[in-house]
Amino acid sequence: MSVARTIHFTLNGRKVSTEIEPHHNLVELLQRFDLFGARESCGQGLCGCCTAVVDGQPVSGCLYFAVMVDGKSVTTVEAFDADGALSKVQQAFIDHGAFQCGFCTPGFVLMTHQLLQDKPNPSDDDIRDYLSGNLCRCAAYPEIIAAVKAAARAGR
Amino acid sequence: MTPFELMEPQTLQEAVGLLDPDDASVRPVAGGTALMLMMKAGVFAPTRLVSLQHIGAQHSEIGVSGAGELRIGAMATLSALERNTKAAEAFPVIARMLPRLSNVRVRNVACVGGALAHGDPHMDLPPVLAALGAKVSIVGPKESRDVAVDELYTGYYETVVGRNELIADVIVPAMQSRKAAYLKITARSADDWPALGVAVALHADGNTLRDVRLVASAATAMVMRLTEAEKILNGASADDATLKRAGDAAVAEAPIIGDIRGSVAYKRELLRVGVGRAVRQALSSRPTH
Ligand SMILES: Cc1cc2nc3c(=O)[nH]c(=O)nc-3n(C[C@H](O)[C@H](O)[C@H](O)COP(=O)(O)OP(=O)(O)OC[C@H]3O[C@@H](n4cnc5c(N)ncnc54)[C@H](O)[C@@H]3O)c2cc1C
Ligand code: FES
Ligand code: FES
Repeated sequence: MSVARTIHFTLNGRKVSTEIEPHHNLVELLQRFDLFGARESCGQGLCGCCTAVVDGQPVSGCLYFAVMVDGKSVTTVEAFDADGALSKVQQAFIDHGAFQCGFCTPGFVLMTHQLLQDKPNPSDDDIRDYLSGNLCRCAAYPEIIAAVKAAARAGR
Repeated sequence: MTPFELMEPQTLQEAVGLLDPDDASVRPVAGGTALMLMMKAGVFAPTRLVSLQHIGAQHSEIGVSGAGELRIGAMATLSALERNTKAAEAFPVIARMLPRLSNVRVRNVACVGGALAHGDPHMDLPPVLAALGAKVSIVGPKESRDVAVDELYTGYYETVVGRNELIADVIVPAMQSRKAAYLKITARSADDWPALGVAVALHADGNTLRDVRLVASAATAMVMRLTEAEKILNGASADDATLKRAGDAAVAEAPIIGDIRGSVAYKRELLRVGVGRAVRQALSSRPTH
């Protein structure tokens, strides 16, 4: 019944295609390309560990059918240091120690990039609001907020 | 998730034709956020999903007419609605509700049609649209019909939408001089599922309340109008005694359900005070024109 289909999409700036079955989600699709920055944790859309950006909008990869990226453009955290240099957001997270184990960090970094694109000078409330769907089990929240502000100051 | 057959029709009518009136394992899928949760939890194992992603851009359109009526295509995402400045200006109550509905990523994917058709009584959009007197147009194999949002739900996760029918769009009548509010009471974080939702739309004629539409959700097994409380409010002024009587009437008429966000006893008290607070919030909201 389930038939694999070929999808074509842009992955971190590169045109790619692959066969995928309809019941696979975006995290599983990314793993096929050896991209492990988006990882499934809650699996329920709550924590943001599986964040990927599809056509400029962050989504939860765990709740996103892989076939839906057909014809679209997907960005993962791996895009940011593809040229060997960290993005300003990544650097700010390191400078502020905005993580302990780092499991949640790719999601926070992607969301922060997106937030700063929409709002280059976010208020504390804007930051808390935008990142409310990202959970950090190590509770590095104060440092994360400091890092987001620092990244905003540095300009991306 | 278990494998299934995925159909990707190019039109709404074609999508309707791929549904099956006799088979509950065939469902339409919009953003898939709610369906995937059910599939992951093992409560739903589809044999076929009919994707609405390619039925045409016109089904994602959002427009406010010159007369102030809002039309939202079923495939508009919740974030597209949130970012639509015309809709936000014409219906501040919708604009205030959306940022507290789940998180950015879910709103980027979830569609208005999915939010209306899912039938989970905890959802935030249905009570607001029901209070505003919105109607959905439902398309079936032979004909279309309009159903008021407050008549869409028949029980817990149950709607009047047939297995071979689709919601095409929703029409919200102009606010005109109405005032509206939605009270979302959460027991955990601000953007959590509510323990109680109370939506109200009304006319304030001096101190007198008229045309009150009062809707409860989350504390009840389905989105429902509180008609006894409405009767108390209509023609009365919003003083403490009236609001208290309306709250008591709401508790008396509403079948309350308990869940992990609150027991029946707790939610009864939430509703008792929530009705008055929602009415006061509506009265203090700024007029839209
Ligand atoms: C982490 C998380 C938190 C959430 N928190 C909230 C919250 O606080 N408040 C809230 O309101 N919601 C919340 N939600 C629920 C969210 O609003 C729904 O998942 C979403 O609205 C469903 O839309 P969808 O397009 O993804 O629907 P889908 O999953 O595609 O479909 C949902 C249902 O609707 C049917 N359907 C879809 N489109 C149509 C159509 N056009 N015609 C007929 N039937 C159709 C499908 O067959 C299915 O039965 C949350 C969800 C998640 C994952
Ligand atoms: S794993 Fe997707 S949001 Fe938590
Ligand atoms: S750093 Fe460990 S979960 Fe956030």
